[in-house]
Amino acid sequence: MALAIEARDLRRTYRTRTGWLNPRRVAIDAVRGVDLDVRRGELFGLLGPNGAGKTTTIKMLNTLLIPTSGTARVCGFDVVSQTREVRKRIGYVFGGDRGLYDRLSGLDNLRYFAELYGVPAARQKRRIAELLELVGLAGRERDRVEGYSRGMRQRLHIARGLLHEPEVLFLDEPSIGVDPVAARELRSTVAGLAATGTTVLLTTHYMAEAEELCDRIAVIAGGEIQALGTADELKHYAQGRRVLEVQAFGVTDAQVKGIDLLPGVREASVEVLGTSQVLTVQSDAAVDVQADVLRALDGVRLGRVTARQPTLEDAYVTIVNGVDRTPATVTA
Amino acid sequence: MRLLTVGGVIAYRALFNWATPSMFVGTLLVAPLFQLLFFAYLGRQLGVADDTFYIVGNAVLSATLACVFGGTIAIANERRWGTLGHVLLSPRSRTLIFLGRALPYAGNGLLIAVFTLTVGSLLLGLRIPASAVPGLAVTFAVGSLSCACFGLTLGALGLRFRDVWLISNVSLALMLLLTGVNVPAEHLPEWMRVVGGWLPITHAASAARLLVAGEGFGAALPSLWREALVGLVYAVVAAVLLTLFEAESRRRASLDTL
Repeated sequence: MALAIEARDLRRTYRTRTGWLNPRRVAIDAVRGVDLDVRRGELFGLLGPNGAGKTTTIKMLNTLLIPTSGTARVCGFDVVSQTREVRKRIGYVFGGDRGLYDRLSGLDNLRYFAELYGVPAARQKRRIAELLELVGLAGRERDRVEGYSRGMRQRLHIARGLLHEPEVLFLDEPSIGVDPVAARELRSTVAGLAATGTTVLLTTHYMAEAEELCDRIAVIAGGEIQALGTADELKHYAQGRRVLEVQAFGVTDAQVKGIDLLPGVREASVEVLGTSQVLTVQSDAAVDVQADVLRALDGVRLGRVTARQPTLEDAYVTIVNGVDRTPATVTA
Repeated sequence: MRLLTVGGVIAYRALFNWATPSMFVGTLLVAPLFQLLFFAYLGRQLGVADDTFYIVGNAVLSATLACVFGGTIAIANERRWGTLGHVLLSPRSRTLIFLGRALPYAGNGLLIAVFTLTVGSLLLGLRIPASAVPGLAVTFAVGSLSCACFGLTLGALGLRFRDVWLISNVSLALMLLLTGVNVPAEHLPEWMRVVGGWLPITHAASAARLLVAGEGFGAALPSLWREALVGLVYAVVAAVLLTLFEAESRRRASLDTL
């Protein structure tokens, strides 16, 4: 089996020092033994909460960081000792507003990075035109980037990541802060890339994005891979459960804690959506907790109440909540 | 070669803070001219040296703002835009990428020095022998390039130290004092002369004064070689620092802290 990415027991510890007279040294284990095998042409998802180690893992794989221990190879080349070979074969795209030269046009940004990434002069013009078309920026390429919306910037990031036709593309939360329409276009672009044989390693917070796009998904939390499989395989983590969703206005933390302790309840969490809250309660499939939950919410204005089967997101919450998310911190 | 030239020019447009016409004219052309006039009138008042000394010295000095800050900006401003990670992911030579960035700033410096000398001479009535003009152009070019390489060294420090602009500001003040452009070198203590000898433009200023005095290009050549050597040393130091700090950033994640 040809592998695009192989990582073995990859670890990264950040060491910081604060203070001069009485220095305090802190070591944070951001990644604690990650093993990964990503096949060529695969669209692989890396899912995890903030601080789980996703970006650190990507930065070790794309050569920006050296692992504290362990090994990793991209397209067969070692990420520590064969950086130039790795860099020729990878593209890196991250979400957010930064990372582009605002004073330049989109076209000039691409021209400059085409030089940096070694795209031959004779191919640059055609390649840039193809990518502008691909990401939907044709016609706006001569505008300064400072006038671009976040979605346009994100698409320019992707175009830049693809300039040198990389074999492996790292996408680090590319849809963060992007509106739903732009996010849909972005997903369509990413799916198109995978169809052309590019290996994609995608990190994201969005379950729907991962489920729609990824062949396989790894859930990372506490710096370790907690689960790995297809979206359907991961859903098994929430198997044997049912989910109750309650739209509410004004649920307190104490009430959520109380619901978490009800007989049969496995997880309870609240998400704020606009002016309302959505209380999600996972329980054992054999136990109907609806009456107890509604009783616990006595006095709270309620909206829609729905019972449903578990989704990938429920499985993700199950996996992540079972992990001590605080990385080991050592003070010396 | 394209990375050196095309890449250098695009990076200049992307990163240089004073690339707009108003900023360029105000900061890089007009301000040095007033500085020249200030020192020339002060020199007249104190009787330290004649107008020629100040016109030539300040013409050479006028390139430093664009070159030293330009060289620093060429690297340190990557942090401002959050683009450093993408530049460091390039598989191409760092020396080519960053030395290419110094060239437009050296060109800027040459243009500014020529402008300052021309306008300063017209305002204060200095006559420059026509035979000295080609030699002066070479001298300004070498001085500007040397300055830009010095700026790159400071920019490389910007990979490690966030407050590199502090060093750039202090460096400009030191150049005003130690390079002999406004204070005759023979009036400085020995250690200051030694330090000045390793700063850019010191030897370019000496060469320019010889040329304006009609001594000929041959007389100015030793100073020009010394200026070129100083520039080369800074270029090598910049390349070494870039390599060291890039390796350190991978090991210590020092660039991630911003």
